[in-house]
Amino acid sequence: MTELFLRAIFADNLVLSYFLGICTYLAISKRLETALGLAAAMVVVQTVTVPVNYLIHHYLLLEGAWAWLGLPDTDLTFLKLIAFIGVIAAVVQVLEMALDRYAPALYRALGVFLPLITVNCAILGGSLFMAERQYDLGESLVFGFGSGIGWALAIALLAAIRERLRYADVPAGLRGLGITFVVTGLISMGFTAFSTVSLP
Amino acid sequence: MARRNFFTPLIDENPVTLQILGICSALAVTTSMTTALTMSLALTVVLMASSGIISAMRRHIPAQIRLILQITIIASLVIVTDLILQAFAFEISKRLSIFVSLVVTNCLVLGRAEAFAMQNPVGRSILDGLGNGLGYSLILLIVGFVRELLGLGTLFGWAILPTVDSGGWYQPLGVMLLAPSAFVVLGLLIWAIRVWRPVQVEPDEYPLAEARR
Amino acid sequence: MAELNPIKLWHRILALPAESQTKTIAMAFVVSAVSALFVSIAAVSLQPLINANKLAERQAKLDEMIANLPGLAEVLAQSNAETLDTVIVDLTTGLADDTLDAASFDMADIAADPATSTVLSDEQDIAGIKTRPNFAQIYVLKSGDALELVILPVYAAGYQSQINAYLALKGDLNTVAALVITEQGETPGLGAKIAEPAWQALWPGKEIADADGTVRLAVVRGGAASTFEVDGITGATRTSSAVSAMIGFWMGPQGYAKVLFALRNGEV
Repeated sequence: MTELFLRAIFADNLVLSYFLGICTYLAISKRLETALGLAAAMVVVQTVTVPVNYLIHHYLLLEGAWAWLGLPDTDLTFLKLIAFIGVIAAVVQVLEMALDRYAPALYRALGVFLPLITVNCAILGGSLFMAERQYDLGESLVFGFGSGIGWALAIALLAAIRERLRYADVPAGLRGLGITFVVTGLISMGFTAFSTVSLP
Repeated sequence: MARRNFFTPLIDENPVTLQILGICSALAVTTSMTTALTMSLALTVVLMASSGIISAMRRHIPAQIRLILQITIIASLVIVTDLILQAFAFEISKRLSIFVSLVVTNCLVLGRAEAFAMQNPVGRSILDGLGNGLGYSLILLIVGFVRELLGLGTLFGWAILPTVDSGGWYQPLGVMLLAPSAFVVLGLLIWAIRVWRPVQVEPDEYPLAEARR
Repeated sequence: MAELNPIKLWHRILALPAESQTKTIAMAFVVSAVSALFVSIAAVSLQPLINANKLAERQAKLDEMIANLPGLAEVLAQSNAETLDTVIVDLTTGLADDTLDAASFDMADIAADPATSTVLSDEQDIAGIKTRPNFAQIYVLKSGDALELVILPVYAAGYQSQINAYLALKGDLNTVAALVITEQGETPGLGAKIAEPAWQALWPGKEIADADGTVRLAVVRGGAASTFEVDGITGATRTSSAVSAMIGFWMGPQGYAKVLFALRNGEV
């Protein structure tokens, strides 16, 4: 479990190894504070949706899930995509209402990017990986939490670096988006070093 | 007007290099040109179809369920595209695996649906979808070209630079097949585009003052 | 008048302002229904094609392996056999099984179904596969009564993907004829080298177990020093140990041990 957790954060980082959630990653990383707020929201959403999607996938969609009703051959896995998105949309909606009630400043700072978590490839990708790798409930929870933390870590790193980059003398064509990509590439290279690390 | 819709997204308003849309899949499938091409085709088809359908329904979509309705339509199109790929191009579909499914949340498809298809007639929306799809494909193919040629010495599977393993002189750059290279190649590509089209350059927020003598 | 009602109803709904509650519910319903219909039709009509593709691919991999096995072509010609016999074996008894249909046999499905698989404990699960299928489809080549070749499907959890392979054993059921990796998703340029002919060429001639019957074949770091060792891949320690674990598991008591025993005694 610990190995799964650490792998999800470092070697299997959703942003830096699998390119999931890049659009939001690039768009929100200009300021460290907003980035951290979004990161916290992502961790919460990911930790909740991956296990819930596991339950839906395992008990409603997989072949044999309806055996108790006398329909053992029914294989509804082609509905996986829509089911997962439905769950994610619902969780994000609840999170929005909770933030609006208990942390209105953060809610205003995140603005339109909070509902955009619904369509963040990283959240959907996390659930799809869970289904593809056939994790069980415990592993889904650990993977959800770990991958959320990994995404949060990556965006915090990038935001911190971008704040410094504003004062750097970057060539005109590379300014902004270009240098951000190159820096992300370097961070990604650093993270691949973690793939050979394993616990004793 | 229609020609503008078609040609602008190619370079001037390229979805990947300027609008920052559709990047996730743009990086992951560019390790070979075959996967890049298939992904581009799949995305362009879905983009055109979804823009067209959403545009046709635009006056009847209630604001509260707007997002989920759009996603349902896009998801259905993607699932069917995935099934068609598995039935008629099995080898390629295996390598594209979750990335075809990820076209559903591809910011590009949703972004254009929100920004254009919801406010414009069907014909123009489809054209806009085609233009953005081609802009996306252009970037994918360029990045795929660089990564496959330098990383494997091949293009579309055909050997171009004879590798040391097969008795030639070219030692492939293994790093081109790994994740970081995609970011760096794209960054350099954006640099090249902005040198060609300086209007896309972002303003300097903290310009350095001239050194005093 | 009655036939016009649904159409009139439809027009009335369309004429409603987009924000009205009826409209919202109606649109949600219509879009879901139409999408579901569209997807289901596609899924049902394309499924047979997709299944055929999967089957063809597995067969192609098997054919490719057989074509690449050194000396097999001559062996096949000598024994007048054109193809290998397919046998479904029960791993719990080691004997052949008649109840399952060979044409639709899918090892992955068997492993996923609790009725036809065994859950492995942590000590038993060397290869990281969690459940072991109770049935497997193996390929046997005999010349008369003598065993010439046995091909066993094996798999294990690799570093970042599942590794599927065919292990071909010579007639003595202890010497490796070939190891062919059919599916893997390991790191390109490192772990993925296990799928290259250069590495797979290290396997023919290696032995599985010593005179006592203890399984000793393993992938080692550094150079291989005996017929029980195969050179690992530099920089791909995890993938190499996964292949080792795969051999260790499937040649052991939870794997094909009983099947090999039955084959030696001529019971299969």
